[in-house]
Amino acid sequence: MTILWRNSKCRAGMIMLAAFILIAVFAAVIAPYGPRVSDFGASEGPSGAHWLGTTARGEDVFSQLVYGARTSLIVGLVAGVLSTLIAMAVGLTAGYLRGVVDEVLSFFINLGLVVPVLPLMVVLAGYAPVKGLGLIIVVITVTGWAYGARIKRAQIITLRTRDYITAAKFAGDSTARIIAFEIVPNMISLIVVGFMGAALGAIGAEAGLAFLGLGDPQTVSWGTMLNQASLGGALTTGQWAWLVAPGLVLALLITSFTLMNFGIDALSNPHLRED
Amino acid sequence: MALLEVRDLSVTYSPRDADTVRAVDGVSFEVHDGEFVGLLGESGCGKSTLGNAVLRLLDKPAAITGGTITFDGKDITSTSEDDLRSLRWVDLSTVFQSSMNSLNPVITIRSQFADTFEAHDNDVDVDDRAGELLEMVSLDRSVLGRFPHELSGGMKQRVALALALALEPRFVLLDEPTTGLDVVVQRDILDRLRVLQARLGFAVLFISHDLGTVMELADRVMVMYAGELVEDQPAAEMVTRHLHPYSAGLLGSYADPRDEIVEVEFIPGRPPDLSQSHAGCLFQPRCPVAVDRCRTVHPDLLPAGRGQVRCLLVEESVGDRAVLDKAAALRHRDQVFAAGPSALADADPVLVVEGISKIYRTRRGLTTTVTTAVDDVSFALRPGQVTALVGQSGSGKTTIARMLTGVERPTAGSIRFKDAPVDHLRRRALRKYRRHVQLVFQDPFSALNPTRTVAYALSRPLRNHLGLSGAEARARAGELLETVGLSPAAQYLDKLPHQLSGGQRQRVVIARALAPEPEVVIADEPISMLDVSIRAEIIALLDALVRDRGIAMLYITHDLLSARLLADEVMVLNEGVMVERGPTLQVIGEAKDPYTRKLLAAIPRPGASGTPVVARGDTEMGAESA
Repeated sequence: MTILWRNSKCRAGMIMLAAFILIAVFAAVIAPYGPRVSDFGASEGPSGAHWLGTTARGEDVFSQLVYGARTSLIVGLVAGVLSTLIAMAVGLTAGYLRGVVDEVLSFFINLGLVVPVLPLMVVLAGYAPVKGLGLIIVVITVTGWAYGARIKRAQIITLRTRDYITAAKFAGDSTARIIAFEIVPNMISLIVVGFMGAALGAIGAEAGLAFLGLGDPQTVSWGTMLNQASLGGALTTGQWAWLVAPGLVLALLITSFTLMNFGIDALSNPHLRED
Repeated sequence: MALLEVRDLSVTYSPRDADTVRAVDGVSFEVHDGEFVGLLGESGCGKSTLGNAVLRLLDKPAAITGGTITFDGKDITSTSEDDLRSLRWVDLSTVFQSSMNSLNPVITIRSQFADTFEAHDNDVDVDDRAGELLEMVSLDRSVLGRFPHELSGGMKQRVALALALALEPRFVLLDEPTTGLDVVVQRDILDRLRVLQARLGFAVLFISHDLGTVMELADRVMVMYAGELVEDQPAAEMVTRHLHPYSAGLLGSYADPRDEIVEVEFIPGRPPDLSQSHAGCLFQPRCPVAVDRCRTVHPDLLPAGRGQVRCLLVEESVGDRAVLDKAAALRHRDQVFAAGPSALADADPVLVVEGISKIYRTRRGLTTTVTTAVDDVSFALRPGQVTALVGQSGSGKTTIARMLTGVERPTAGSIRFKDAPVDHLRRRALRKYRRHVQLVFQDPFSALNPTRTVAYALSRPLRNHLGLSGAEARARAGELLETVGLSPAAQYLDKLPHQLSGGQRQRVVIARALAPEPEVVIADEPISMLDVSIRAEIIALLDALVRDRGIAMLYITHDLLSARLLADEVMVLNEGVMVERGPTLQVIGEAKDPYTRKLLAAIPRPGASGTPVVARGDTEMGAESA
């Protein structure tokens, strides 16, 4: 942790992410109005009462922006965790057992890698019988685990031949225990990096799907805001803040993840540590 | 004027979250034109740091904090990188420990030479000159067209040496240039080096912890301990009339395995922590002859004998040798390990191997290559006895170990553990069998999981095989640590591997192998990665454990001295065939097989009369490059 904090890029990323988390948690306190309250004049420009103006339906843009942080972070966290878990299960099993199991699992990993992700997501999201945030998370998870699985498989193949793994076998440890207690602690930085990548992808994918109109219109997210801004003619009415604000915070959130990754790289590779 | 002059050089490591360490402290020495100087010391004594400082290759957090380096009359202590570039390789070149990996894998050997010539605007015919250089290190010219991965480790190291000599430098730094190579190959390369050095007349600073080799090769030997030079003598003097107790300890690790009685000494203890300041002599805590004054007075490097020595006792004594005679007498109490009488009592064998063979078939396209790794080998392991398995890299030693542990099955023949056929065991039975057969690994750095404590590593076999509870396992782990000489155990239980030294780690590895109370232990070159000065200690430990606990041990090695010290019986393996087998002294004393003889010749014998080093360079690399 101190290593992460010491890296100046990583520190900036951690502070930014912490700010986003605080905003999401205390959204009800920070936002001046509810995200769906449409009591205001439609398509107003920025003013003292509405810092970023109002939507075409008369909702407060700033309040939507604050509540939208919740959606992005929840999708990032849940989809990131889920796809990391799938990637670990598949990658570690394939890499450790090798042989036929590896052949079969590698086939699915490769399948996951070559299938064009965006059309698949669009099809899944568009034709699924249910709508809502859960669906989006499932779609993102299903399409996003393969890359992480491939990396973890490669890593475990180099780790499994180490002498201490042989020693654990001779100590009578079971395969599951060897993977969980001997191998996983040695690839923790890789797993964290994988999680960050997956979470980042999930946040972007959620925004993308919502922007395309495939999200749940009832959920307030930065993607739906962009979608509605575009449909509501934000540019024609000169409401630049409605359009720019969600894009900007999305970029900032993604930047914070990327900055943190610098520090995590340093954790796994001491050569990258900046003195 | 000397070619290289180092005056009061100090190097300090200042890591961000640890205390600063004075790795090199006020070192002064000279290397003259054409001189071959050896620099000796244990791991962590600062010898590689000193070498890198001389080449100005230090990286953060290390930095030169005092003193000067003068090369050919020019002060290079603070020359800019740009100015250094014209000097490097032309005048100062180097072969590193890992220089096998310093060749660029994606270009041919010829291109590597071409790059070197081009970088220094050397307008020569590359094929001609590079071919000449390769022949100099006894490689064929055809190697020029090959890529690094097509060459063996020894050949790559020769190429690295040829590259270092490409621009006819006046000074070459060799930092353990043959570590990691087969002993016989090592020997050939070093002999070749000595011949070349005599012919081309470059100066060499040869860094190594292998004192025997250094003594044989060098004109002058400097011994380094805890960042300081403690002795500097002509090589011949060092062998017979060394003065510092530390040099004596290092020299004690050598003996001729063919002698009737073989004894080796070791230096107990560890080097001091250089992040603390010490008042007296740095070697005092490990010194067998230290007196009270050594605790408080730090000795200077003063002229003595035909060189210089840093020792209060030598300073004060009348006859130079008086100190060492006393030291030798004291050392004999507890720091000597002698090969015991080999009692070949005919206990019932626990593990019997009958005519095993292993054939590997590799298919590439339509052609199938058949490799016979092991061919019709039979032997038996008996309780309380050590059987050494000696052979070159690739001779099938490891394959035999893998078959004995059930990792692989023999193609033909049978292996029986008591009444159980090892070659037919399946999963569950195999796991039970492994309780009785344990491994000691070669590399103590990869044999322990870096993220797990010593207590965890030791408790796993105890809990799995002996069914102990957590608390019982911890108590037993402590007992095991005491058994292998890590005491008090409480101090080690919660340490992570990186907090231990190489020797300590190897002790933990041995303790782990002993944990399930096995009847057979297979030790795969357990000392080859350790410093020479602590090898004897580990051998003594293994010996005591085998005899006390009645363990049958298969000791895999290519080091005949350690085999002589430890083993009751020796088997020599060559290309999968057992070429010699018998009681240790008989096999080593009357070696018949050419490979066994080569191994014997490769053992350095500092001070042995006769056989001049250069004459032994006749075992050329024909076999290897063919």
